[in-house]
Amino acid sequence: MLGLLWARLCGLDNPVRLRRAEATRRVLSLDLNKDRDVERLHENGINTLDIDPVEGRYMLSGGADGIIVLYDLANLTKSPSYTCKAICKVGKSHPDMHKFSVETVQWYPHDTGIFTSSSFDKTLKTWDTNSLQLAEVFHFEGTVYSHHMSPLATKHSLIAVGTKGPKVQLCDLNSGSCSHILQGHRGEVLAVRWSPRYDYILATASADSKVKLWDVRKATGCLMTLDRHNGEKSKSSSETINTAHNGRVNGLCFTSDGLHLLTVGTDDRMRLWNSASGVNTLVNYGKVCNDSRKSVKFTVSEGCSPDFVFVPCDGTIALYTIYSGEKISVLRGHYDNVDCCVFQPQLQELYSGGKDCNVLAWVPAVREPVPDEDSAKSGSNRHLNPAFEDAWSSSEEEG
Amino acid sequence: MERKRKLVCETFNIKKKREELKGPASDLNPSHSPYPDFTEDPQEAVPYLCALFPRKLFNDTLPPLCLKHQLYSLIQDRTAVDRLLSSLQQKGELCLVQAGFDSDTFLVVMDQDLRRTAMANCDGGSRAQVVSKFLESSLFSPSKISYCREEVMQKHRFSDREITQLVRAGLFTVRDAGSWWLSVPGAGKFTTQFIKGRKALLSQISRSRYKEVLLTELATRKSPPALRLGMEYHIHDIIGAGLVDCVPTASGALLRLSDT
Repeated sequence: MLGLLWARLCGLDNPVRLRRAEATRRVLSLDLNKDRDVERLHENGINTLDIDPVEGRYMLSGGADGIIVLYDLANLTKSPSYTCKAICKVGKSHPDMHKFSVETVQWYPHDTGIFTSSSFDKTLKTWDTNSLQLAEVFHFEGTVYSHHMSPLATKHSLIAVGTKGPKVQLCDLNSGSCSHILQGHRGEVLAVRWSPRYDYILATASADSKVKLWDVRKATGCLMTLDRHNGEKSKSSSETINTAHNGRVNGLCFTSDGLHLLTVGTDDRMRLWNSASGVNTLVNYGKVCNDSRKSVKFTVSEGCSPDFVFVPCDGTIALYTIYSGEKISVLRGHYDNVDCCVFQPQLQELYSGGKDCNVLAWVPAVREPVPDEDSAKSGSNRHLNPAFEDAWSSSEEEG
Repeated sequence: MERKRKLVCETFNIKKKREELKGPASDLNPSHSPYPDFTEDPQEAVPYLCALFPRKLFNDTLPPLCLKHQLYSLIQDRTAVDRLLSSLQQKGELCLVQAGFDSDTFLVVMDQDLRRTAMANCDGGSRAQVVSKFLESSLFSPSKISYCREEVMQKHRFSDREITQLVRAGLFTVRDAGSWWLSVPGAGKFTTQFIKGRKALLSQISRSRYKEVLLTELATRKSPPALRLGMEYHIHDIIGAGLVDCVPTASGALLRLSDT
């Protein structure tokens, strides 16, 4: 660390390197911390979490009891221990609360003034955060499993919605109506995700074990159906039998650069796909336990030098490197199945929610103090001849 | 912990002399070499497993088969295994064949062996012509594991009857309406033995104390009569398929029946 700081000070390294190294160290040391807690307001399992992408400060949680809670994650108390306070909630007393389990909540990507939530009561609701009033309701024919808004699109404000029916629907926030229907799946659509790289690229995963990539400007059908065998290079003829998993596919996540797509299925596998060509990269993560009937929200880290993926796996969260598929560690703490986790990229914190009604905060361990003799030595050194600091630092770097 | 430390070092680019010194030493440690003939070389893994296959059991009617997941027990890095198999498949050296009893299990068979057995199985029969037509045509390529109707019937002019012949000869099994898996003729005999053996071995482990047994002890034990494919073949199978957990101990790996 000292070596890195020194190299940064001298301008030998570019700024990114130090940041990456430290971020990686922090992610690898994620653990529960007695000083950090999240207020417990849900009386039922927590299905979904989302941290606002603008400041990384506010977190939404949606529970199986239909309640949505908004937390403030920033610790402004100047004391190390902090319980994330709930600022407000859409609770039992609210006239517009969801009747059944909330499956997905998401912030409006460009501003914390709006958030959206979808639920098993067959609706997708848009909320005004400040007044906590309902702004817009979309009704569907089937229960809504998941929805997503493009994190970077500025030219459209479409929300992709996966419901119990096989059709993916796109709702336009500008007009307040369903503008597109994407047909192609045969089972319920369990997960939808917009690409973080291209405005119009959408990935959907379904219970018919297929994962499809769409360009929503293309009217005729999907771009491609991912095939786990990738034997046939000549597509289109065999499109109907291409399956991404052997079982329901219930989780989707793009890597932070949008070049790869991760999918999880109930065949206990996780797969990594090249999102441009749709080729299976053949990274084998081993067994990733997953028997959820609903969608699983998992997440990837950002800005680390091997990037990591956090996957809920029964009552634990497994941490894998994305591109080599190595299992790095397992985060244990929940008493029941974990359903969702979300990563805070600026502070490298992880929040997870599960059926045990808890939101747990996984915080990087504080750096251990430097061993005594070392600090004493360096201290005296510095005291004796401050002019020779230079020489001391370089020797430290080597050792 | 070890892995974490290694990753941290990699990112910080710390040159740790101590670790370097430790490197070869830990390799010499009892780490794992319960399979004395196997030389850590991934290229060797497939022939090694095929050599374990008891050909005599089936009167040489079957090609040497191994399962894809058995390789995971020999080589720790699963991604490396998958990539290796995929590259060998593209080169045309081996075929992956759907095993039939579990849709995520694949048999690995050498391309040469598959051709030979397929021809031998229908030697002189009326199907020989169709089978050889299929094997000679450009349609058959080891990199494919399944074939679809358009390809077979329109591009390569196989008639409906010929496809039926191929299915009867055991080269095709039905996957879906209008698509077929590639298959090994006579693989059913193997599958029967294989499942019986796996069950026998697992029940043997579950009967031992704490449902766990040392790998070395298991290998030297007298194998139950149902285990016709050989003890080591089955051990690789259950480890690779994740039916048992491998716990490293001072006296070699300990196999514990996994609870899921």
